[in-house]
Amino acid sequence: MMLSRSTLSRSAPRALQVTNRRSMASASNPGLQYEVSDAAGVKIANREVAGPTSTLALVSKAGSRYQPFPGFSEALDRFAFQSTVKRSALRITREVELLGGAFSSSHSRENVVLTTKFLSNDLPYFTELLAEVASQSKFAAWELDELVANLLKLRQQAITADPEYLGIDAAHGLAFHRGLGDNITPNTSVPFEKYLSVEALSEFAKDAYSKSNIALVGSGPNSSELSRWAGQFFQGLPTTGTSGQYKVQDKGASKYHGGEQRISHKSENAVVIGFPGSSAFGTSGYKPEVAVLASLLGGESTIKWTPGFSLLSQATQSFAQLRVSTKSHTYSDAGLFTIALSGNAGQVATASKNVVDAIKKVAAGEVASEEIKKAAALAKFRSLESVQTLETGLEASGSALINGGKPYQIDEIAQNIDNVTEQQVKDLAKSFLSGKASVVAVGDLFQLPYAEDLGLTV
Amino acid sequence: MSAPSLTSYIVKRPWLKRWMTPIAEWYMDAAGYRRLGLRFDDIIPEENDVVQAAIKRLSAKESYDRVFRIRRAFQCSISHTLLPPEEQTKPSEDVEYLSPIIREIEKERKEREDLDTLSVRR
Repeated sequence: MMLSRSTLSRSAPRALQVTNRRSMASASNPGLQYEVSDAAGVKIANREVAGPTSTLALVSKAGSRYQPFPGFSEALDRFAFQSTVKRSALRITREVELLGGAFSSSHSRENVVLTTKFLSNDLPYFTELLAEVASQSKFAAWELDELVANLLKLRQQAITADPEYLGIDAAHGLAFHRGLGDNITPNTSVPFEKYLSVEALSEFAKDAYSKSNIALVGSGPNSSELSRWAGQFFQGLPTTGTSGQYKVQDKGASKYHGGEQRISHKSENAVVIGFPGSSAFGTSGYKPEVAVLASLLGGESTIKWTPGFSLLSQATQSFAQLRVSTKSHTYSDAGLFTIALSGNAGQVATASKNVVDAIKKVAAGEVASEEIKKAAALAKFRSLESVQTLETGLEASGSALINGGKPYQIDEIAQNIDNVTEQQVKDLAKSFLSGKASVVAVGDLFQLPYAEDLGLTV
Repeated sequence: MSAPSLTSYIVKRPWLKRWMTPIAEWYMDAAGYRRLGLRFDDIIPEENDVVQAAIKRLSAKESYDRVFRIRRAFQCSISHTLLPPEEQTKPSEDVEYLSPIIREIEKERKEREDLDTLSVRR
């Protein structure tokens, strides 16, 4: 007790001095900025971080938004690091184990990301591995039947048990229809098997991993080394892809529609309310006030043992069996602002009315300016953190590079959020109430409310 | 599953192959499975993991045809009859459809075995 009190008294004045310090990252901290180059026609973004380990990711514009048929992005993701023409999946795994590295693959609505992490000395091996996976994957029929199909089934089961995920997925469908609205993973009732075959997938992969469709993003390796090895190994990739029906399909610019969908679910309950949001940083639809409003409404505390300052966590404090989270999903040409409530059906139903009340409060300007300042600080932290964190940062930078936007500039993001005014946040909340919402109810529909009951137009 | 075989030894020597081919063809025909409408790959013993895995990897059509041939042969065997000559397997139809998959699976297993027992020297 004595100890903690003395530490507290010593560090407290320091917390107050924060404002005097220089703002986070700038020219004095070059390790956080990506250096953009080009090797053998492949775009490379790299940041040299002094340290013994490196991360190298291949970002391909082949997420569910660009897939020609349902399930293709998911299958392409699962087929990464499987057998190639040169070596089997087992050999790849064992070799990487011996080198002490790691590899993984994931996909989002816009991208398929293959990530490798390794000791910096092994850069040539892992660059070659990524190039091999991109250009020489075998796509054996038995791998689809014995491995990929089973993994896909397990993933489907996992998302079926997650009503919040189903709700957010359905909200994207309502908001953007085709393209951005396509499921990231086809759910159990999607007849994706009739489209999926190894021949079709291998055609899709040729286009997905063509030079114009990918970017290499590194964090750690020496830039000149990286472009040397990438130039050597990625030379064999096709410059432009195939032209058949299985190529990467751009289904046009995203347009916001809105609407309402109700899905029955036996065990869990969720209500997701979506509004048009902000597109990614560096694109024309970027609106920093969306991030501020997202942290102002909030719902999840960032600090232990306290509900936090956010309006929704304050409003739903008395509901013990409820989870609320507000997110701003940003994409290259559009965005979706979602508020997701999940938990006990009765509490979800009551709390979803509180959500609309909270938005009305913001629109009427009944929120103290201090709260908005806190929200802006949190929004700034979150967006900077997501750039700095490897997983999100790599994909965001790669995506920006492929789509021709500018790579993330940390100073500018911070500046943009600092410039958000109270009036902008208020206007945004007003536009939510007057415009069309995307409302999804998943679970016990007998208890869950309709959009009309909440006072939202759909 | 594969039995010891002299095939690769013979195939490598053209003069020996020329010499052996008619004998092999006569022998395969004399074995009699073609008169029951079977192919050589149908009579590979299937009671082991490797062949079971290979059978699972056949395409739907090949798998159906295999079952059909085996059932037809079984029926012939029960009734002590041979198929009419036009339904018997012609030498040109007696092609490998399962063996390549079996060899692939054996290669995979061998690779796993090798990697499991490998010792690393740095």
